[in-house]
Formats: sequence, C-alpha cells, structure tokens
Amino acid sequence: MEDTINFNLPKQTHDIFAVMARGNFISSNGSKDGMNRLYDVINNPDNFDRLQAYFNVIRYNIERGNNFFYFSKLGEPNSELEKKLERFERYIDIIDLFASMDNKIGIGSRFRPGEISEECNANVRLKQKLQKIPLYRSETLHNKVREICDLMSRDSFLELEDEKSESYKVLDSYSYLLDVINSVAIYEDTSLGGGDDTQGLVYN
Amino acid sequence: MEDNCRILNRIVEINIANVKYTDLELSGNTCFVGTNNFGKTSLQRAILFFYSANSRGLGIAPSQKPFDEHYFRNENSYLIYEIRTEDKPFFVIVYRHNKLVFRFVDAEYSPDYFFNENDEALKMKDIVAGFDKRGIYISNQIDTFERYRNVLYGTETDKQLSKFYLLKGNEKYQNIPKSITNVFLSSKSSIDSRFIKDFIANSLTTENSSIKLEQVERQLRQFNEKYSDIETYLKKETQQLIEFIDKKYDQVHMLKGAQMEMADKLGSSLRYAETQNETIIKASREKEEEIEKLAEGNEEQKTHLEEKQKDIREEIGYYDKSIREANKKLKEYKDKNIDQAVEKNAEREKLLVDLNIARREYESLTSNVQSIEMKYSSLIEQLRNDKTAYVNKINSRTSEIFNHYNELQLLQKNEFNKKDAELKQKREEALTDLNAEVTSKQIEFNELKAEEKVIRNTRFYENEIKAQETELADLRAINYKNKSERAIKTNLVQTNQKEWENLEQKLKTASAHQIQKTNNEIIRVKNEIKAIEEKLNVQHDALYGYLEKNVKDWHTTIGKVVNEDLLFRTDLDPKIIADKAFSLYGVTLKLDDVQVVSKTIEEYQFEKNERNAIIRDLEESLNQFQTSNNEEKMLAADKFGKQLGELKEDLKVLNYSLELADKREKKLILEIEDWKQRASTEIEQSLSGNKQKINIIEEELAILNKKKNNLLNDFNTQFDKLKIFNDERLADLKGRQETEISELEVEKKNQVKEYEEKETQLSSEKESNFKEKGVDNKEIKRIDSRIKELQDALKEIEQYSQVVNDYLKDKRDIFDKLPDFIQKKEEYVKTANDLSTELEEIARKYNIKRMELNKQKRAFDEELIEFNNGINYFTKNFRETPVYNKYVDIIERAEPKKTNYSVMDLCTQLLKNDSHFNEEYGAFQRYVNEFAGKFRLENHFNFVIRNDASQGEYERFAQNLRSFINEAKIELSIAETATQIGLVTDSIATKVKELSGQKDKIQHIITLIAEDFKKAEFEESKLIEFIKIRLEDSENKVYKLLKRIQEFREENGLVYNEGLFNTDFATHKNKEISNRAVKLLEQLRNAIKEQEQEEIRLQDLFELRFNIKEGMNETGWTHKIDSIGSTGTDILVKAIIYITLLHVFIKESSHRSSTDFKVHCIIDEVGQISAHYLRELLRFAKNRNIMMINGLPNKSGLEAHYKYTYQFRREENNNVRIFPSIVTEVEA
Repeated sequence: MEDTINFNLPKQTHDIFAVMARGNFISSNGSKDGMNRLYDVINNPDNFDRLQAYFNVIRYNIERGNNFFYFSKLGEPNSELEKKLERFERYIDIIDLFASMDNKIGIGSRFRPGEISEECNANVRLKQKLQKIPLYRSETLHNKVREICDLMSRDSFLELEDEKSESYKVLDSYSYLLDVINSVAIYEDTSLGGGDDTQGLVYN
Repeated sequence: MEDNCRILNRIVEINIANVKYTDLELSGNTCFVGTNNFGKTSLQRAILFFYSANSRGLGIAPSQKPFDEHYFRNENSYLIYEIRTEDKPFFVIVYRHNKLVFRFVDAEYSPDYFFNENDEALKMKDIVAGFDKRGIYISNQIDTFERYRNVLYGTETDKQLSKFYLLKGNEKYQNIPKSITNVFLSSKSSIDSRFIKDFIANSLTTENSSIKLEQVERQLRQFNEKYSDIETYLKKETQQLIEFIDKKYDQVHMLKGAQMEMADKLGSSLRYAETQNETIIKASREKEEEIEKLAEGNEEQKTHLEEKQKDIREEIGYYDKSIREANKKLKEYKDKNIDQAVEKNAEREKLLVDLNIARREYESLTSNVQSIEMKYSSLIEQLRNDKTAYVNKINSRTSEIFNHYNELQLLQKNEFNKKDAELKQKREEALTDLNAEVTSKQIEFNELKAEEKVIRNTRFYENEIKAQETELADLRAINYKNKSERAIKTNLVQTNQKEWENLEQKLKTASAHQIQKTNNEIIRVKNEIKAIEEKLNVQHDALYGYLEKNVKDWHTTIGKVVNEDLLFRTDLDPKIIADKAFSLYGVTLKLDDVQVVSKTIEEYQFEKNERNAIIRDLEESLNQFQTSNNEEKMLAADKFGKQLGELKEDLKVLNYSLELADKREKKLILEIEDWKQRASTEIEQSLSGNKQKINIIEEELAILNKKKNNLLNDFNTQFDKLKIFNDERLADLKGRQETEISELEVEKKNQVKEYEEKETQLSSEKESNFKEKGVDNKEIKRIDSRIKELQDALKEIEQYSQVVNDYLKDKRDIFDKLPDFIQKKEEYVKTANDLSTELEEIARKYNIKRMELNKQKRAFDEELIEFNNGINYFTKNFRETPVYNKYVDIIERAEPKKTNYSVMDLCTQLLKNDSHFNEEYGAFQRYVNEFAGKFRLENHFNFVIRNDASQGEYERFAQNLRSFINEAKIELSIAETATQIGLVTDSIATKVKELSGQKDKIQHIITLIAEDFKKAEFEESKLIEFIKIRLEDSENKVYKLLKRIQEFREENGLVYNEGLFNTDFATHKNKEISNRAVKLLEQLRNAIKEQEQEEIRLQDLFELRFNIKEGMNETGWTHKIDSIGSTGTDILVKAIIYITLLHVFIKESSHRSSTDFKVHCIIDEVGQISAHYLRELLRFAKNRNIMMINGLPNKSGLEAHYKYTYQFRREENNNVRIFPSIVTEVEA
C-alpha cells in the first residue's frame, strides 16, 4: 500500500495485478468485476507509465493488445514458454472450430453453448472438429462445448454474461489467440524420415 | 382529581372470541391473572385496540386469524369501552358490519341496552332502536379507524362527536396510540438501544416514511447502466468502430445492390434467352430465305441484262464490221485514185463528142486522096492491127502471166488468210476462256471492292453504341440534377444544423439562467430558514422561552409591545415581579386593539415549513423547467434530428447515386470505347478477310493476264511467222511475175518499135504521096493527132470505167451510210456501257444487301449460340452454387429483357463479386459484433445483435446505428442521463431530508426522555441511581452515504450535469462536480449491495447509547444492555424506559391545556418483578398519569398492588370467564 502511494498508482492496482498475474487478460469489452473499468485505468497514459514502472520492479511487463492488456514476465525461462505453447496448442482446434461455424464467432459475439453444439450436431464436418478437440472427456457434444466455454472463460477469452441463459460474450483478448494463430507457420520437415510428410509448427 | 379525569373506565365484551360476556373496570392499575392461553393477551389486545384502533398493529401473527374474525365471530359480538369524563361517562361500541365500525353513545354503560329479557345479545339495529327509544344519543356509524381516533383524541371537528374524546391531542396525537402499541409489542424484548430507537422511530413515523433501498438501488442501477452505456459509446475505439461499420455498411450495401442488379440482369437475360430462342431460330431462317430469294432475283436480273448486252454487242459487231469494211473499200478506192478517175469519167461524154467532130474534119480533108489514103490507111491499119494483135498477144501473155501469178498470190493469200483465221480462231478460243476467267475474277474482284466499300461505310454495333451514348447522356443529365439537389440538401443540412445548435444554445442558456435564479432564491429562503432555526434553537434560553414557561398568554400582552429581536436575546435575564405583572415597567397599557407582533413556536415552525415548501416548490419548478427544457431539447432533437437524419440519408443516397453514376459514366465511356474498338476490329476483321480475297484475286488476275500475254505473244509469233512466210512467198511470186512480164514487155517494146518504124515509114511515104498530090498534110496530121489524143483519153477512161462504176455503186450503197453506222454504233456502245454500269450497280446493291442479310443472320446465329452457351453455363456452373440460392427470388422473378451482358459474363461476375461481398460482409459483421459486444447485453441503446442474426438484422443494426447518429440520440441520452443523475440525487436528497427532518423530533424526544430519567429518582430504594441516554450520529454506511449525497445536493443545487461526459462543452468545474456525483452514487450502490438492507428507516439515522447505574453497577455508554442486574431489575428498567417514553410522547402529543386524562400502559409479563420493585414501578407510572395493565401467570401476592385484579378461567364449554379477584390493594 505504501508502495502504491510512492508510485502514485491508481487504487485499482491491486485488482489489476490480481487479474493479470494469474495470466489472465483485461479486455475493454469485459463487464464482469469491473473489467472495463480496469481496462480504462490501465489505458490512461499516465496510469500506464506508472503501472508499467511499478510492475517492472517485480519483473512483470504490461503488454498492450488490441483493446486488451496482459502480463509478460521479464526473463521468463524457456521451460515456462514451452508450457505456455503447449497450453496454447489446444486452442488451435477450438479457434478452427469457431472460425468454421456458419455464424463465425468473433470479438463481441454473443452465443450459447447450445447453439454451437446444435450446429455441430447438424454438420458432420463441425462435429468431427469438435470431437477432435483433445483434453475433454465429456460424453455429449453440448457438455464438451460447455467445457470449452468454461476453459476459455477461465483463461479470460470469454465472459459468461448471463448465467441464466448461459450466454457467453467473446472478449477482446480473443484477438490474442487469433494473432498467435496467424503467426504460426507450417513447415515441412524434410531432414527426418527422408521425404516423410511430417509437418511441424513454428511460432513466429 | 382521580374522579374528574378522563380515562378508559370499563371494557365490556359481548360474544367476543371465547368470552360470552365480561364487564371489567379499568380505571386504575389493573392486573390479569391467568395461565397461558386463557385469553389474557387477547383481552390486553382488546384494550390496546381501544387506543390504537388498528386491527393490524396488535401483534397478531400472520398465521393467526385476523382480529375482526377472531374477536367478532357473531352478528351480535360487541366490544364496548366506557370512558369516564369530568362529568358524565360515555361509551363506544365496536362491532362488525362487514368491517369493524364504531358508534359513540352519550350515556353510561348499562347491559340493558344490549340484552333482551332472555339475556340474549341484541342485534345492532335493535340496540340503536333501544337508544332512540330511550332518547339517548348514539352517533352514526364511524367507518374508519382514522375518524375514530380523531374523535377519541379530540381532533374531530363534528360538534356532535367532538365531546367524545379521551384527551385533546395535537397534530402529533398519532404518537400516543403508536407508543402504547409499541410498549405492548416490545415488552418481551431485551433492552437494546435498537428497540428504543425502533420505539421512538415507529412512534414518530408512518409505515411509508423510510427510504426504500431497493428503489434507490434500482434508480442507481438504471443511472449507472445508462452512464456506462454512454461512456462506452463515447470511447474512441467505439467511435472508430462506428465509422468502420458505417463505411462497411455502405460498401456492403453498394455491393449487394450491384449484386441484386446483376442478379436481375441475369434473370432478365435468362428469361430473354429462353423466350427468344424460337424467335431467333425463326428469324435466322427467314434471313436465310431472304438471302436465297435475293440471289435468285439478282441472277434473273443479271441474265436479262446480259442477254440484252449480248444483242447490243452483236449490233455493235455488225456496225463495226460494216464500218471497218467501208473504210477498207474506201481506202482501196483511194489507193486507185478514184477521185481522179471519177473526175475523168465525168469528161467522157465531152471527149466522145470531140472525137466525132475530129473524125468528120479528117474525112472532109482526105476525100481527094482517098485511094492513097485508103491504100496507106489499110497498110497502116494492117500494120497497126498486126501491132495490136502482137501487143494483144503479148498483153494476153502478160495478162496470163500476171493472172497466173496473181492467182498464185491469191492462193497464197487465201492460204495465209486461212491459216491466219485458224490461228486467230485458236487465239480467240484461248483468249475467250482466259477472258472468261479474267472476267469472273474481275467481277469477283469488283464485288470484293464493293464489299470493302460497304464494310468501310458500315457502322458496326451502331445500336449498342447509340444506346450507350443515350444512356450516357441521360446519366449525365441525372447527374447534373443530382448534383444540384445535393448542393441544396447540403445547404439545408447546414441551415438545420445551425438552427438546431442555436436552439440548443438558447435552451442551455435558459437552463443555466433558471438554475442560477432558482439557486439564488433557494439560498435566500435558506437564509431565512436558518434565521428561524436560530430563533427556535435559542428560544429555550431566551426571553421567549422564559415567557412561554412563566407568563400565561404573554402573546396578548408583552407579545404586542416587544421587539422580536429582543425576544430571542439570551442575555436579558428576565424575572417576574408580582406587582407589575401586567404593566410595562409599571405602566399599564390597553392593548386590545394592538396587533400581536410576537409569534408562537408553531408559527415559527409554520414559517419554516412554509419556506421549506417554497424551496421545494422552487426545486419542483426548476425540475419542471428542466423537464420541459429537456422535452424541448428532445423535441428539437426529434425534429431536427429526424430532418437532418433524413437529409443526411438523402445526401448519402445522392452521394451514393453520384458515385455510382460516376462509376457508371466511366464504365459507359469505357464500354462505348470498347464498342467502338470492337466495331473497328470488326471492320478490320471483315476487311482483312476481304483484303486477303482481293489479294488472291489480284494475283490470279495477274497470272491470268500474264497467261493471256503469253498466249498473245505466242500467237503473235505464229502470226508473224505466217506473215513472213506469206510475204516471202508473195514477193517471190511477184518477182517472178514481174521478171516474166518485164521480159515480155522488152520483147513487146522491141516488136512495137519495129511496127512503129514501119508505120512511120508508111506514113512518110503517104505524106510524100499527099505532098505530091497537094494535100495539106499538116492539117490532116494535126487532126489525126487530135483524134489519137481523144481516143487515148477515152481509152484511159474506158480502162477505169468498171472501177468508177463499182465505186459509185459502193458510194451509193455504203459510203454515204457510213455516218449513220457510226452513230448507231456509238449509240449501241453507249447502251452497252449503260448496261454494264447497270449490271455493276445491281451487283453492288446485291452484294450490300447480301452482306447485310448475312450479317443479320450471323448476328442471330451468334446470339443463339451465346444464349445457349449462357443457359448451359448457368445450368452447369451457377444454379448449384449458394449464390444462386441467395438471389433465386430476384433471378426467377425477373422480367425477360435484353441486356448488354451475356449470361455467362453475368454468372461469372456474380460469383466473383459474391466472394468479394462475402469478404466485405464478414468484416462488416465482425465490426458490428465487436461494437455490440462493447455494450451490456441489455444496454439502453438496444445495441444488441444475436450471433445467429440474419443479414437483414445486421443491416438493420447498421441502419439503426446510422439513425442513432443522424438523430443525435446520444445527445438525448446524455441529456436524459444528466437529468437522471440530477433526479436521482434530488430524489435521494429529498428522501434523506424528509427522513432526517424527523431527527430534530428525535433529538427533542431524547432530551425530554433524558430529563424524565433525571426526574425518576428512586430515592427510596436507591435501586437505580440513574438512567442516562444520549444521541449519537448514525454508523449506518448507507445512511452516511445518503447523507453525503444530500449534502452534495445542498452544496451544488440541482446537478444538471453538462460535465457528466467528456463532451466539448464540459467545463472543468462541471466535470469535477459530475465526477464527484457519479462516484458518490457508485459508492452508494456498492454499499447498498454490501449491506443488503431493504430500507433506511428513521432509526437508522442515529445511534442511542445508555448509561445505567444500578447499585454499584454502571454499564457505561453502550447501545446494548445485556444484563444490568437480575431479570426483575431488567424488567423494571425496561418498564421505566417504556413508561418514560410513553409519558414523553403523551406529553408531546397532547394539547397543552389537556392535562386531566390518564392512559394505560400495557406490559404483559411482569411476573418476575419483585413486589418492592413493582410498587416502585407503579408509583413511577402513577406520577406520570399512567395506569398499568399487567399480566401475571398466577397469584403471587403481586396482585395486591393493583386496583383491579381479574382472574381467567376456562369453562367446560371452552368459554372463558373473567371475574374479579378479591384482593386488598396495597397503596401504590
């Protein structure tokens, strides 16, 4: 608290840290827990410089995305980065599924898991894509979609806007996923297996 | 004294609950003894009902039967309260007539009024009849509890009822029944300041005087949501998204429009192709037939003309031949000097006459010497004859030779001619074939040349170019019109905008002015209130307070002569000197007609209230002004916004049309250029084919000419050879002829010379004979020579006579007709030329027509091919695509119409455009989603779009957003929100003020209670040393915030914020104030959420703390006293506090003049109190004119301290009987 005073930091600093230190994002279109207010606080140029200076001391760096903020850690070990990448890989299939929907899910979209599972049920291609997504053991498609939504909410890419109707909103941080996907290059590994079709991913 | 005061003297229950009848006196402390569930509490409730007349405030649980149903079970159930007065008692009857009603009866209670001789309770009408019969006044039925209380507490204005009062209450008399009720209801609770607070508060307030936090929270939430919506809307990123959406929507709209237009064209083209197929096939066939017919007609005409031409050529040949022959003959005649011959022949007759004359002369001269003459003449004649015979013989031989050679020459010539003719024929034959070929090629060449000329003169795609040029002209005209319309509308927009801004400025100024004016007025009135409050605050210690306490009716004496300021001075130290009591420093004044200048407290209070009302009115009127100002703003926004919106929309449409028109114009220009290019290409293509043909034909012609020349050269060589041979042969023949003839001529000459010598000899002999005979020989000789000359001349003439005759005949037959022949030939030549020209013209016309028809037919064929290709392409490559499904309605419903585009092109373009459209639409959707996602799900702008929204919904969203911007709805929303924050703060401030307005009353009550506690000295027992009470500020977080909002509101007046958002006209100060307001409201909202309290009541406005000392125990200042001492002590303290409270309230709520009355304090369970304490308590109550009604579970000796003790017994039929217990009262 004393530090907060010395740095002349906004009073929401603690809340900001609590969100971002968990690896979550603060998006401008998030409404839960005053997320949009936190975004406005960070987005204020005076605040931003102060917060950046403050967090740098504890080796965190505020990264600015398109209408969202997150922490990166200064001097993060490679093993951590690898873990992050592994964690990210499961999103490739999810984003692929979302992008293949008739009503493409993008930033600001509002949807219910039921809508996605219904569409997947009606479309074999989508169904296969959904079934292909690993890490989930749910038996029904609906539950699987719910789990995906739950995961994405936990990672602050989605927000459960209305619990009653189970309506989710896609947050601005979703563009982080898209940006990462876009910076993935597919290469063919010819050095191994002599002409094998092995493909790999490169993160730019 | 006790007998002369007003008190509830008796309660009578007739058929009430389980009690059949009971009649209980209550004019002193009363005690009910009975075990639980015997009806003690029910009876106490019945007594409480007398005071409160509120069937719902009797502490009956909701699970139990309501009061009226439980108590008044029968038609003849009556509850009767008898009130003793200074003189005659009266009573009140409560009964059920649908609902509970009251009647006042001006008489002492007697059971006779209610029962018949069989001891059965009468019905109400019979009772009323009984009273009437007895001449006792019974009031009309009183239907409302309120009116009953008015009567009971002496505020009823009806003169007939005004005497039926228990006490004369003031405007606060409602506190008395409330207090009695509260004591009864809270008597079981422990001693907690909260209960005291509740007691005081409940006594002072009505059910509605609280701040319902749910309502406040709702208002705050509504404001907060609106505020957050607007804030989101005003964000830079949101504005950027709006721009993107607007732009993308235009693009999407344009693309869609273009696609639909194209789909319509496709549909039209398809329909046209389908409907035109048969027609085109037919038209093509017709063209073919037309071409055939044209060829036939042309052939016929050509044949006819060629035949004519042949006849004319024959004629020309005939005349040509005749002319040529005539010229040849003429030349031959000229070669024979025909002119000289004809001339000489003309002299023949004259020569014959001259000869005859010469002969006659000669004969006359020689008549003398005839014998000699005869001899010599015969000799000479003989010689001459010999000579002639010889000459003739030679001539004959010459002639023979000449003829022979001539014949040979003739044969040669004939041979030559024959061979020449043969060659010529051969040549002619060869040439005829060649010429025919050349001619046909030449015709073909000419045709091609004509065709080239036609092609060069043909304007290909003329219709298309013309149609597009017309369209371009129309487009330019419309463009011009649209541009001027756009200029007008832009002007209108600017004018409207200016007008709107002016009006807004005017409204803003008016609003600011009004706020300023109202605030000034409020400040002025507040100052006045402050002055009044100051007076009221100091009045206790000032002269005023002194006069109030010590001088009766001072208003009518001192009040008339004193200066108001003096009244409120605290430094005057007033004292009463008895002998000058009614004089002014010893001077008495007659003040009857002098106006009272002093005012009562109530008047000051009234003035204060009046000023508060003025402030309220001012604020109300400001509110109204603001509302109407906002309404005007809204009306203006509605009016101008709509107009501007429409105009802007029109402008957009115009701009769009102009943009489209520009594009169309450029496209049209390009298309025209394209058509022209295609036309020239078409010409070039047509010409290139033509030129190739021409070149080929030219080459062929050259070859043919060469061939012809070779042929001619060949034949010429042959002719030359033949001629040379012929000439040589003829020369040889002629040479031989001439040699032989010249040989014969030499021979003849020599022989003739001999003959002539002999003749000369004979003539000389003759002449010598004549000389000898004397004859003029000289004259005879002259005549003779003359005859000879004439004979020679005639001979010569005779030699040419045949030629001349022939010539003359020819002249007559041929040469004289030659000019006619020439003229006729020329005429025929001319006619032939005309015919050739005519033929050429016909051929040219035919070619043009044929080409035109061929072109038309080709066009039909091409069109047909294109249609079929188009339909095939559509079926195979388009109909199965989603694009077709998208525009199926437009395509299938289109009218058949010819367009400038092929079906194939349209299909390809539609598919291509659709992919572009999808890209653009995707971006548009993304922007809309992102934009809508920035707002709450239930935002008040209704910026919501479903994930599965249709294209139409997305477009409507963009349209609505555009209208929202055009109609400046955000301004309205900002104005509304600004008004709302004003209204919310105002509403909160008003509620807080209203509620905290009663805090003064609480302060007053607490002061009185504290004073009353001070008086409660328990000297005798020394049990309780003191009970102290004090008031502290509330600790309620919500109330604190509410208070801060009220203070904020007081400080800043009505907050009609212009600085609520970062708009252009927000000043720094405004912004700061607004931010504070918003922050306060947000804090309040959070506090309400945290605290989960439903309402803020009067008791939340303050904290109460007690300090009680009992014996050696002092609690210290605390708000909750868990245990002071034993339970009995607790009950005592509690009862003391309640009695004090009741006493204070009764004192405060009754008229000053009204002192001669007593009320009851109902405290149910007092069983655990000791007799000693009870006596203290009863005395404490008695000193405050309060009679106690208590309940005891059983007889314990305590009842001895009460004037009346009643026992309860349940009988066999479950009825309860209440009967007085015989006890000896110990003096309280």
